[in-house]
Amino acid sequence: METAYIIDGYRSAVGKAPRGSLRNLRADDLGAQVLRQLLAKIPQLDPSRIDDVMVGNATPEAEQGLNLGRMISLMGLNTDAVPGLTINRYCASGLETIALAAARIQSGMADCIVAGGVETMSPIPFGGWRLVPNPKVAKAHPDWYWGMGLTAEEVARRYHIGREAQDAFALNSHQKAVKAQEEGWLQRGIVPIEVEDVSVVDGKRRLKTTVFDRDEGPRADTTLEALAGLKPVFDAKGTVTAGNASQTSDGAAFVLLMSEKMRSELGLTPRARFVSYHAVGLEPAIMGMGPIHAVPGVLKRAGLTLNNIDLIELNEAFASQSLAVQQALDLDPNKLNVHGGAIALGHPLGCTGAKLTVQILNELERRNQRYGLVTMCVGTGQGAAGIIERL
Amino acid sequence: MNSPLKINRIAVLGSGVMGSQIACHLANAGFSVDLLDRVVESESGPQTDLAAKSLQAAFKLSPDPLFSPSLKSRIRTGNFDAHLEWISAADWILECIVEQREAKIALFDRVEAHRRPGTPISTNTSGIPIGSLLHGRSADFQSCFLGTHFFNPPRYLNLLEIIPSSQTDRKWVDFFLAFGRQFLGKTTVECRDTPAFIANRIGVYSIMQLLHQMQLLSILPETIERFSGPLIGRPKSATFRTADVVGLDTFIKVASGLASVATTEREKQVFQLPNFLTSMVDRGWLGQKSGQGFFKKVKQPDGSSDIHILDLNRMEYRPQEKYRGPLLDSMKLLDAPLERLSLLVKSNEQPGPFFKFLMLDLLSYSAEQLPEIAGDVFKIDEALKAGFGWSHGPFEIWDALGFDWVLAEQKAAGLPVPNWIENMQKSGQKHFYSSQQGISHYRDFVRAADIPVPGKEGFILLSNLYADKTLWSNSGTRITNLGDGVLNLSFHTKMNSIGAEVIQGIHKAIDMAEAEGWNGLVISNDGENFSAGANLALILMLALEQEWDELNFAVKAFQKATMRLRYSDIPVVLAPHGLTLGGGCEMCLHADAIVASAETYIGLVEVGVGLIPGGGGSKEFALRASDEFGEGGIRTNVLRNRFLTIGQAKVATSALQAFDLGIFRKGQDRFTMNAAQRIGLAKQTALLLSEAGYVRPRMREDILVLGREGLGIVYAGANSMKAGNYISEHDQRISEKLGWVMCGGDLSQPQQVSESYLLDLEREAFLSLLGSKPTLQRIQHMLKTGKPLRN
Repeated sequence: METAYIIDGYRSAVGKAPRGSLRNLRADDLGAQVLRQLLAKIPQLDPSRIDDVMVGNATPEAEQGLNLGRMISLMGLNTDAVPGLTINRYCASGLETIALAAARIQSGMADCIVAGGVETMSPIPFGGWRLVPNPKVAKAHPDWYWGMGLTAEEVARRYHIGREAQDAFALNSHQKAVKAQEEGWLQRGIVPIEVEDVSVVDGKRRLKTTVFDRDEGPRADTTLEALAGLKPVFDAKGTVTAGNASQTSDGAAFVLLMSEKMRSELGLTPRARFVSYHAVGLEPAIMGMGPIHAVPGVLKRAGLTLNNIDLIELNEAFASQSLAVQQALDLDPNKLNVHGGAIALGHPLGCTGAKLTVQILNELERRNQRYGLVTMCVGTGQGAAGIIERL
Repeated sequence: MNSPLKINRIAVLGSGVMGSQIACHLANAGFSVDLLDRVVESESGPQTDLAAKSLQAAFKLSPDPLFSPSLKSRIRTGNFDAHLEWISAADWILECIVEQREAKIALFDRVEAHRRPGTPISTNTSGIPIGSLLHGRSADFQSCFLGTHFFNPPRYLNLLEIIPSSQTDRKWVDFFLAFGRQFLGKTTVECRDTPAFIANRIGVYSIMQLLHQMQLLSILPETIERFSGPLIGRPKSATFRTADVVGLDTFIKVASGLASVATTEREKQVFQLPNFLTSMVDRGWLGQKSGQGFFKKVKQPDGSSDIHILDLNRMEYRPQEKYRGPLLDSMKLLDAPLERLSLLVKSNEQPGPFFKFLMLDLLSYSAEQLPEIAGDVFKIDEALKAGFGWSHGPFEIWDALGFDWVLAEQKAAGLPVPNWIENMQKSGQKHFYSSQQGISHYRDFVRAADIPVPGKEGFILLSNLYADKTLWSNSGTRITNLGDGVLNLSFHTKMNSIGAEVIQGIHKAIDMAEAEGWNGLVISNDGENFSAGANLALILMLALEQEWDELNFAVKAFQKATMRLRYSDIPVVLAPHGLTLGGGCEMCLHADAIVASAETYIGLVEVGVGLIPGGGGSKEFALRASDEFGEGGIRTNVLRNRFLTIGQAKVATSALQAFDLGIFRKGQDRFTMNAAQRIGLAKQTALLLSEAGYVRPRMREDILVLGREGLGIVYAGANSMKAGNYISEHDQRISEKLGWVMCGGDLSQPQQVSESYLLDLEREAFLSLLGSKPTLQRIQHMLKTGKPLRN
């Protein structure tokens, strides 16, 4: 089996949806900007030698439709020779593409793939514009169509995760993220995004270009009292609020994977190696618990134990499921989401897996550590986990 | 109206409770409004946005001062220092600042620098003489200046007193009398520039006298509250609750103002504050705004709350005593408030004699004041009805109680009787009002003639027509000739509810119109509300007795009736007002056109009683969704929107909102600011439709329903709402039934269906819900308490 190297990876800063700085930037424009800047860092690579562009996206329709992956390849690479692919495993899409790219390289079916994910939640409603559930399924298994919030409530109920613990977890996430921003620890993986705004001002069209390069989710002013004051949004008698759930976001992230052969030919130093990946299915009503099956699975495949893992990015879809997973897997809080998670930093669904990979790679380097684990729960009862090894 | 002015932009100066709410109502009427207020000095520097802040506070008031949030953008805010020049663009300047003569005069000094000559300017005051504000003003200003006195809350209280000074150009008085009526929907009354004008002068007198007499006779306040409300044609808030809502300080301010200028012994005595009132104010018990007044909400140990009443002797709150007695029982048997009042004041049982004295005294005082404050009887009556929510004014009550009886009793009680009343008796013309040719006339004592009450041109008052113009009636409806070949059908059931007699009336009216060649039919009702919906008691009885065939027949008959409203040979125009719920709304949905009162509260509320609209409402919403799908649109979203309007029992809080909810149709339906105009305009609309060549529409067979494409989102959505504890299991069942009807059942693909197909589905769903226990419980609960049960 060949080794799949991660040569480099970058992400956009994450904008708040639907009213944040990236609200008017299309997913294809955003993805192409990140892709161009990733390739600019590797001048040795002739873009036409890339074998594929794999884009994870959880809502591939409207602005994100028309095969987003192919469009980003065309728009970002200045060549029509590289194909493009769009992959949807909801919140794991951005990790799924990296795993798929690694597998292609490991099996010798490719030498160089750009993989990642893009999601702009601002222009597209959650679940898409045209929801057409199957009435038979809706009757027989209504929980298969539950919104994620309801599953978070179900997890909170079954695993006895109270409101106070959820709010405390959320506060901690913000505090860690604010600290990381102050120290500049997150900037290493971020490339600046140009946003054009053409609006009618005083009766005339006006162009304004701004540069967006800082995550806008973290709130330094959040307090436990403020969080406690929020009303539940998914269940009238529930515990999940807008404050202890992940934020809706806009963002893009890509990594470049390469075979040993091509890496040595171009004389590139890899930053990491993709070790392994595992995805699972479970009861849709408690989709938030996906990682408790995915993590043991990926460790087994990698021949590692949790003790070998230095850093863990567990996507904070909801505080309730994050806490339940943390407890069930007995995850070390000192390794877990060291710069906060999606509750503070945002969760651009299909991008998240790639964004967390970029983030954990930089943090492993900063700490001079070896193994990083990225894991997340996935809608309709799934979980995914991947491991990288910094080189 | 032959108007000297077209108004577009109005400047409102002062953004207090009245100013900001008046601004909202002017926006309701369609005007662009500039709301300005002063710059306030504060610790953090000058505050320039007082008007904006007051307006935001007004937006949060309940009941809503705006017809719809979409109107907010019609109001621009600013301050006197930076934006006073805006008034140069105003077509009307309306001053509403603090009730201080000097402050108003100082502001007028500044206004004069910007006001275009010839622009009308008015002051909203309840107590400052209009003539006293002219000091230092130009001749042009003086001729354009008058009082325009709104009542709080200005959207909902219908009175607008118009008070000219001696310098006001007559054209502006006539203009605002007509403008207020037509554009603001108000009852406008021309007042003389006398203390507190008309409504407050008489209305506050009547409350003050009640308070004095209550103490003298030691009658329990809750007894008074019981008898001084809807029972005698007064508002639900009766006496003490009204005082609490208005605020005792406000009330006392008017009373004290009147006491300070009182010239007669009678006024001096009555306007003097009783001790308990002063002591309530001293304690800060001002009513709703301070959390307690005559009433106080008291938390019970079990968590519930109880409304306690103030014991005026001990100044302590105590539980209310419920009044019971034969007098109350026999009053309740009577339908008309005047009949109940008559029974009350002619009874020897307390509080009969108490109210008898109050009523005689009120009529005596009104008669005594008339020459000074009003001149004509109708002005006093209109003012009290519109400003205080009385069903009848003093002189209408006098007519109802009997001229001679009142006069004799007044004399026996030693009450003053003015000369003009004595002259009336001598002349033998012993009535204040009469109806001639369906038009209300008042007695003009100077001209010694019966004159049509002015400002009612174009208004049709059905009750005036019943005696001469009724063509047919049954136990619950009347068909009346409105003239010009137009018929009217009106309901006379309890709450104008819809049962077999109303359905028979609909069929009869359309039969008559078609067979006899009438031009059109209007369906409109008198009273506070158009219709509270179907007769639930009847439905419940049939359901409990499991008379399914009969129920099926009844629902079918109602469906047929609503369908005939649309599919007949004559145009049918509905003129709803007030509550128009359930079946009342379904009738409107099938009209050829609607002319509603602006204050129409319309919606399909059936889910509240465990049902879905069964009179064509569910069908009609599916039909309208189909018409809204559009090429390439997202059909499930359109359907969801329509579905939720029924599923959440949304009720429009204004006619404008009824358009937002898709109940009224743009271009086809309209509303009028003045409720009294609606029947006349509905008649004109029927005539217009007829003359434009009305042809019976074709029944629809092209209604696109989504079948399974829509059903999935209905089922998934209902389950999620249930799982999230937002709805009950029964709500979920109702939602699924409604969705089934609106999707046309589980059709494997979207397809076109007919109205009759959907009506069958609607009826089946309606009947199956009626066969479920939770629905019957909901209906029983609604009948018992008037409130929906969430089971």
